[in-house]
Amino acid sequence: MSALLDHLPEFWQGLVVTLQLTVASFAGAAVVGLVITAMRVSPVGVLRGIGTAYVETFQNLPLLVLLVLAVFGLPEIGLKADLLVTAMIVIALYEAAYIAEALRSGVNAVSAGQGEAARALGLTFGQSLRHVVLPQALRTVIQPVGNIFIALTMNTSLAAAVGVVDLTAAANRVNLMEAQPIPIFVGAGLAYALIAACAGFVTGRLERRLVVVR
Amino acid sequence: MVSMKRLAAVAAVSMLGLSACAGTDSGSPAVPGEAKGGDLIASAPVAAAADILPGSTMEKIKQRGELIVGGSLDAPLLSQQNPTTGEVEGFDADMGKALAKYIIGEPKVKIVNSASETREALLGNGTVDVVLQTYTITPERAEQVSFAGPYYSSGLSLAVRKGTTGITKPEDLNGKTVIAGANTPAIPAIKKLAPQAKIVTFGSDPECMQALKQERGDAYVQDETLLVANAQKDSSVQVVGSPFTTDPYGIGLKHGDDQFKKFVNDWLKKIQADGLWQKTWKQSLGTVVQGEAPTPPQIGSVPGS
Repeated sequence: MSALLDHLPEFWQGLVVTLQLTVASFAGAAVVGLVITAMRVSPVGVLRGIGTAYVETFQNLPLLVLLVLAVFGLPEIGLKADLLVTAMIVIALYEAAYIAEALRSGVNAVSAGQGEAARALGLTFGQSLRHVVLPQALRTVIQPVGNIFIALTMNTSLAAAVGVVDLTAAANRVNLMEAQPIPIFVGAGLAYALIAACAGFVTGRLERRLVVVR
Repeated sequence: MVSMKRLAAVAAVSMLGLSACAGTDSGSPAVPGEAKGGDLIASAPVAAAADILPGSTMEKIKQRGELIVGGSLDAPLLSQQNPTTGEVEGFDADMGKALAKYIIGEPKVKIVNSASETREALLGNGTVDVVLQTYTITPERAEQVSFAGPYYSSGLSLAVRKGTTGITKPEDLNGKTVIAGANTPAIPAIKKLAPQAKIVTFGSDPECMQALKQERGDAYVQDETLLVANAQKDSSVQVVGSPFTTDPYGIGLKHGDDQFKKFVNDWLKKIQADGLWQKTWKQSLGTVVQGEAPTPPQIGSVPGS
């Protein structure tokens, strides 16, 4: 236990980085995911194609491969950013593919009559998406998006492999000194579990509040 | 472009690795590469039957016919899998083979890929018999595991890009960004000598080198032997100063197994006296370090051993 308590500042530092990674990546993923979903349900064939290609590309490549390519490959062509920023962008782009799929399932859950009614009222594609389809779609996918948030939290630990000192890397470093892997990694695991439990609690509340009664 | 080439190389290497695995299935994978390690292991000693005490760990290993070693597969010069032969080569790997021969009579080793977060647990629950993995003996670790040895003493050194000025000793790293291998003793060492340094870690040595060249950090702290080997291959990087730590590597054993510890220590003394230790060094680490083999460290000479 003392191995854990003696190094609380290090763990705290790591936890802060993990939270930064999680929040920034999720925000980025939500925005990109929304755009991709809009593309995938749009009436323009080219946009649909780009949206599909994006989702297939990012869902079919392991996140670690993307991280390593971005951290070591991009500087070769002159693109170099801070490690934390690189990790945030890569995780955001990767998770956006999953969010886009979740959102699309939500859009599909909105009955076709709603879209037809919106068009009959004279709303444009953007207006019907904004005022009719997406509000209902978003409410249906709160739980799946919450699950993606939790998965994203766990995925941020991969950033430890490319030099970001998040909670996992911090735990590794403490263990290197203390050689007490079980309390140290159980402690780190509990911190992740706490984040996930909070996310679960929030999505549960949101879902009950915003549910669409059909 | 370089990354594409690297990607292609990785793909090619993994293909070779696959075919090598398939190829050795029918043969006897335990026989080491005849060309290199073969004659070395052939001259390795075998324990007298009286030394294998009944009921001891040694007897269990002998009956199993295989020594299970916790080690790395990616540590150049120490324990690295050769992708073309599938054979694990290097100083630590050869020590494992020699120890297996001493106990069993044949160099039959199974390497379980361990990591610094799992070594203590693997020894504690008996998954591996010994750990040979640049395992620095420290008093904290000695509370969890027993250490035979030290069997090798190394030190951390600094590497910088050619033309870097102002970094010659660890204290110069204060306020700088320093690259280190994840899970290496370099991290606590830097924290101690240069508390204001920012440490970035990467999983493997090639990644650290790439990061240094891409200016992700000002210096790279790693075992001197490895750095010397890197600097020889890549002229854009140079090693500065001399080693600033002494890391005595021990053979990790299950905590409290004094019988086995004495047995391994006796074996270490034997191979140091008959020159096998020096020959093993020459064939691995000695290929990049100039001069004769160093004097092996005194067994039991550090706290924790």
